[in-house]
Amino acid sequence: MDCKKAERFLLRSYDTPSGPEEKAELRGHLEKCPACRKKDVEYRTILGLLRPGPVPEPLPYFRERLLARIREKEKEIPGLFGLKLAHRAVAFCLAVFFVFGVGILLFPPEETPELSQAERLFLQNENPLTETASLLNQNRAEDKNMMLIFASVDDRKAGRR
Amino acid sequence: MDEKELIRRSQGGDGEAFGVLIERYKGKVFSLAYGFTRDRTAADDLAQEVFIKAYFSLPRFKAKSEFGTWLYRIAVNHAKDYLRKNRSRLRDVSIEDVGEQRLAAAEKSQEDIQSEEERRALVLGVLERLPEKYRTILTLRDIEGMSYEDISRILGLSPGTVDSRLHRARQKLRQRLMSNINLQGGNNGL
Repeated sequence: MDCKKAERFLLRSYDTPSGPEEKAELRGHLEKCPACRKKDVEYRTILGLLRPGPVPEPLPYFRERLLARIREKEKEIPGLFGLKLAHRAVAFCLAVFFVFGVGILLFPPEETPELSQAERLFLQNENPLTETASLLNQNRAEDKNMMLIFASVDDRKAGRR
Repeated sequence: MDEKELIRRSQGGDGEAFGVLIERYKGKVFSLAYGFTRDRTAADDLAQEVFIKAYFSLPRFKAKSEFGTWLYRIAVNHAKDYLRKNRSRLRDVSIEDVGEQRLAAAEKSQEDIQSEEERRALVLGVLERLPEKYRTILTLRDIEGMSYEDISRILGLSPGTVDSRLHRARQKLRQRLMSNINLQGGNNGL
């Protein structure tokens, strides 16, 4: 056993009892090695000194003081919580605005060309005669004429022409 | 009252139920804080802050671990913060410190007590200057006497890492102590 291994065994032996073989091996090394014997004494002394003497009691009225501090904090917290929330909301809005702005700059929306009435009807798969069906169905010529006039006025209003 | 019930009521803001939990754990939390600070007033303040933090974190406590383990984890993390913040204010080990820590022990002579306290102050002074991870593990194991399993749960480390870190910490403590003693030109009984 070398000194490095002996030190490892020594340190372990302070926490858990070593097995008989390990113990015998360590004892054999310690008998031959004054440096490791010295280390053993030093470690034992240090650990002994670390073990605390009597720990004092907490200061008087520990619980009462603590509960009072908690109550005080509880009063502060809604305000703090609101402030925190407001900060987060502002940060979130700025982030969304920034992302949206960058998105628009990088990918400007394409302007869709206005479709002609025929294209619109074609794309929507509609019958172009449905709108005029009621007009064509009129028996009297004056009714038909009146309806044509109104339809053309409506069309002009809607900016079709 | 059952601890689970106390926790449930405390989560609902019941101060009295939390008061019972404080009574149950204040000794251990204070002792842990004292192990880190070596100062009664600082330990008292630290222990109070630990309980305050625990109270406001209770709604997030899901009982995946024991309440005690969870509380110790908060205590250790808080103590680490304390050590980080107070690193610059580390006290040098002086004769005043030794006098402050002197405890009356009827069966020992005044000289023995003084000598032991001097040595203890020296060891603790060196411990205070160790890197935080070594100081924490030495405090939990060699001052608080916690088991490897508890330390492993509190620090979130595997038992193997606890073992190797503890060994390394003890080696560091001994090496620094020895070099300090050699610098001072004595053996101080070590």
